[in-house]
Amino acid sequence: MTRFKLMTAVMMIVMLCPLLTSCFDAREVDDMGFVIALGLDKGKTNDLRMTLQIAKPTAGETGSGGGKEDDLPYVQFSVEAPSLFSGLNMINTFASKQISLTHIKVVVFSSELAREGLGQYLRAMIRGREFRPNMPIVIARNTAEEYLKSVDPKLVLNASKYYELVYQSYRYTALIPKVEFHDFYLATESLCKNPVAILGSEVKFTSAEEFDIKNSTYREHGRTVPFEGDFLAGDIPALGGARSENIGLAVFDGDRMVGELDGTDTNMHLLCTGEYIHSYWTIPDPLAEGQYVVLDIKQKRHPRHHVEIVDGKPVIHITLSLEGDMLAVESNINYESGENSKILESSVESYTREQTMQYLEKTAREFKSDICGFGEHAKGLFTTWAEWEAYQWKAKYRFATFNVHVNFNVRRPGLIMKNEATISSGGGSGSK
Amino acid sequence: MNILSINCHTKSHGGKHRFLHVQAMKNLECEYGVNIRKAIKDILLFHEPKPQKPFILTEASQVGKNGGSRGSEETGDRKRKRKKNENLLLKKYDEKHSGQGSGGTRTDISTQLSENLNVIEEQFSLPLNGDLVIRKFRINVRDSSIEAFMVFFDGLVDTKVIDDDILQPLMLLSSLDIKGEGEDILKYIRSHIVPHNQLKEVRTHQEVIDAVYFGGCGIYIDGLDTAFTADVKDFPGRSVEKPNNELVIMGPQEGFTESLRKNTGLIRKRLMDRNLIAENIELGKRSKTPCAIMYIRDIANDSLVSEVRRRLQKIEVDHIMDTGELEQFIEDDPYYPAPQVLSTERPDRVCSMLAEGRVAIIMHGSPYALVVPFTNNDILYSAEDQYLRFPYSNLLRIIRVLALFMSLLLPGIYLAITNYHHEMIPTDLLLAILSAREKVPFPSVVEVFLMEISFELIREAGIRIPGPIGPTLGIIGALILGQAAVEANIVSPILIIVVAVTGLGSFAIPNFSGGFAFRILRFGFIILAALSGFLGITVGLVLLGLWSVNVKSFGVPYISPVAPRTRGGFSGAVLKSPVWKQELRPDYMNAKKDRKQPEISRRWIKRGTRNLKSDSGNENDQV
Repeated sequence: MTRFKLMTAVMMIVMLCPLLTSCFDAREVDDMGFVIALGLDKGKTNDLRMTLQIAKPTAGETGSGGGKEDDLPYVQFSVEAPSLFSGLNMINTFASKQISLTHIKVVVFSSELAREGLGQYLRAMIRGREFRPNMPIVIARNTAEEYLKSVDPKLVLNASKYYELVYQSYRYTALIPKVEFHDFYLATESLCKNPVAILGSEVKFTSAEEFDIKNSTYREHGRTVPFEGDFLAGDIPALGGARSENIGLAVFDGDRMVGELDGTDTNMHLLCTGEYIHSYWTIPDPLAEGQYVVLDIKQKRHPRHHVEIVDGKPVIHITLSLEGDMLAVESNINYESGENSKILESSVESYTREQTMQYLEKTAREFKSDICGFGEHAKGLFTTWAEWEAYQWKAKYRFATFNVHVNFNVRRPGLIMKNEATISSGGGSGSK
Repeated sequence: MNILSINCHTKSHGGKHRFLHVQAMKNLECEYGVNIRKAIKDILLFHEPKPQKPFILTEASQVGKNGGSRGSEETGDRKRKRKKNENLLLKKYDEKHSGQGSGGTRTDISTQLSENLNVIEEQFSLPLNGDLVIRKFRINVRDSSIEAFMVFFDGLVDTKVIDDDILQPLMLLSSLDIKGEGEDILKYIRSHIVPHNQLKEVRTHQEVIDAVYFGGCGIYIDGLDTAFTADVKDFPGRSVEKPNNELVIMGPQEGFTESLRKNTGLIRKRLMDRNLIAENIELGKRSKTPCAIMYIRDIANDSLVSEVRRRLQKIEVDHIMDTGELEQFIEDDPYYPAPQVLSTERPDRVCSMLAEGRVAIIMHGSPYALVVPFTNNDILYSAEDQYLRFPYSNLLRIIRVLALFMSLLLPGIYLAITNYHHEMIPTDLLLAILSAREKVPFPSVVEVFLMEISFELIREAGIRIPGPIGPTLGIIGALILGQAAVEANIVSPILIIVVAVTGLGSFAIPNFSGGFAFRILRFGFIILAALSGFLGITVGLVLLGLWSVNVKSFGVPYISPVAPRTRGGFSGAVLKSPVWKQELRPDYMNAKKDRKQPEISRRWIKRGTRNLKSDSGNENDQV
């Protein structure tokens, strides 16, 4: 046997070895069931009731299918189990495809479970490689199972797309906070910040006759009519669309839920943390009773925080810089120029200041939880880490005093440079 | 065997018997040619690499072979010296050939015409060879009439030239008054009678035979011991047409033909460089195919030229047909998938490469010229890149790089992602793939192989279908086959797109052989991806990289200028700068002259300095 043939024989034997691995880890895409939403509730017979929403493959051809009422793009399974992963095993007793958690888009906890503490579930999820760090966390006011059942996306074919989009609405409505799972987890074990979660619920009203605003928080804000954010999840008078809604946030202390805030407070929360992007505000008209000015408010620059420790108590100064575009002026007052614009600006400033102070007082006195993360700015006041730890910011937050300063400018009046009165046959200005 | 047993015997001291017994047993197995123990040792233990001297192209080195010694002469009689050298080479070959076993040929031409005739008839195997013509005639000189005959191959010569310029003067006009003194008939005939532009005197039969085989005619005259050969060749063949496989939109539309002299002519008419050399070499012991090595003497590295010459001269083969075969004879690593020699049909491309310092090899009978050395990046270049403005050619190059990666890796990545790395796909796409794959009964590996193989089948079949049906069938085959396969739920539609894009990618690579390389490697990557996902693909890329780093093409490392880095870095590797900025020749060529343009090559651009004279010569102009 020549040397070449010997070498070839040896090489072939060596090359057989990778064939023994026989594509060990390979799983076909259609052999797996991809979970897009995970819900955890307190179980009746066991510690945990796990709800999984598994995406159904989208019905391929356009034009065939579609339009059926109960043709949801997902299937929902629930099972009672002691822990997260044992629940998966139990679900696979009847689900044919192997469950894969790599595409989970949202995790929903029930508020009952949240009030007891979420630490153990977070620790399971942060350790697992499959959980994406950018999943939003939602607290369902009733149970996660009902919340997930009520999700019925009408505008998208694909359930995961719905979840991807709906929790991004903080960018343009500012009615839910920005929550990502990894940040949530880090905040539970952080010394200077407490986590928040999105508040969600299923819609209570099934027809327009049932609308009522008795659960709205507008009275606490000192208003006579509820503004857009003065609701907690589930109370908004809305119909059609999905039967679940998300508004407001859940306040946590450590890993335990301690309270809920409505949409307006969430707006202020986003302003204070600097995560606010833009949204439409309805401001009561300063010169005309009962009418509104609607503005599109954006941040001019990130808020500036300054923290001092006075007598062991934190004093927090916040400067918010906002700018706005005028969207609608219901009365015919010229807010575009001159004295009136200054009146409008100062009215917005005071409105913002008032709402922010209300919100901050609530977090400090009622919930005693620093969800905006002012502790970050207080860290620099201590020279060593041990001193900072010893100070225990989270415990001292309840004694904090706040000082909020708002700068606001109107930048653009839209397409109208001067508001004119309407003239009707009765002569004079026809509007009130 | 005997000597070995003696060795065993002499080494036998007490206590070593068993070792020797074993040794003798092992020696018994040397009838297989290899000692098993030695073989295992060879495989498992580390060996010092044998000191080999591969050919490495270095800076202008002096090599004592034929071409190198005259490197320093720049002035004057270059042409004469070159011609002398050509003749030197020819003579060497003649000596070699005439010395080799053709001792039967009488080397010298005798003065007896009948003897010459006999030799010729014997050498050309007359009357078996039907197309050899022997034309006997008489030359009238002064008052005597001399017998003569002419020999040529019908079909290889231009008969009109023979009739008008050789036969006619010799037969008819030779009886005119002789001007000048009566001297040598030979000289007289040569200088006065035969108005033909390439007439040579030869003294051996072999030279006449060689000339006749190359389309000349041999003229033997009674009483002279030298014969004449005239080059009257008119090989039947194509005229210069558009190149078939390397089409460009903006650029010359001429391609090489099968005739050696036409090809060298095409190059010379484009590159009238005073130092352009076309050396003659003969390949093939029996086919005696003439070839030419072309290079620019004061740019191309001498050691490169002599290495090319050395490799060509040392090929021993009976018949060699085409540059495709020649390429396989002279390349550095025949197992490496990508080509190491550039094969092109376009004279303008060859000319620009010669100007960079490369060497071209042209063979008679093949419309493809070989250019060496060749690096990895040249696979991406097309002829047109130089002629287009640089934003356009850069765009095209980026697209080609993308095409290259897609044709190599796309099916592998698709397999790796859908089998192993589900978390990498956006959920929407994943669900779309899932729903498409629900209906398909095969696992994705089988699908991919099925589609790839059928695509290759269609491609191969499309080449051989005659006439106008060819391209149409290709398109119809691909579309309908693919569509039908999707409808029958044999493959998923996403896979059709993957395979189609991959195929398109391989077509987008300008170099034909290079495209093949990636087609072959693609299958390797599919298998690796199916076995271990991205790990497999990475291993494949690392192995390929290791291999590529080792390959050299005529002494130039194959993946220069990426590795080893040379002056100028990667600047010319993928994207190219505008023509007026390409001032230096590529460093890895180690050309004798690095600079091909001064720093400011567009001297019409106005600058602030007053020291440069303007073109108009008016010193008052600000240039």
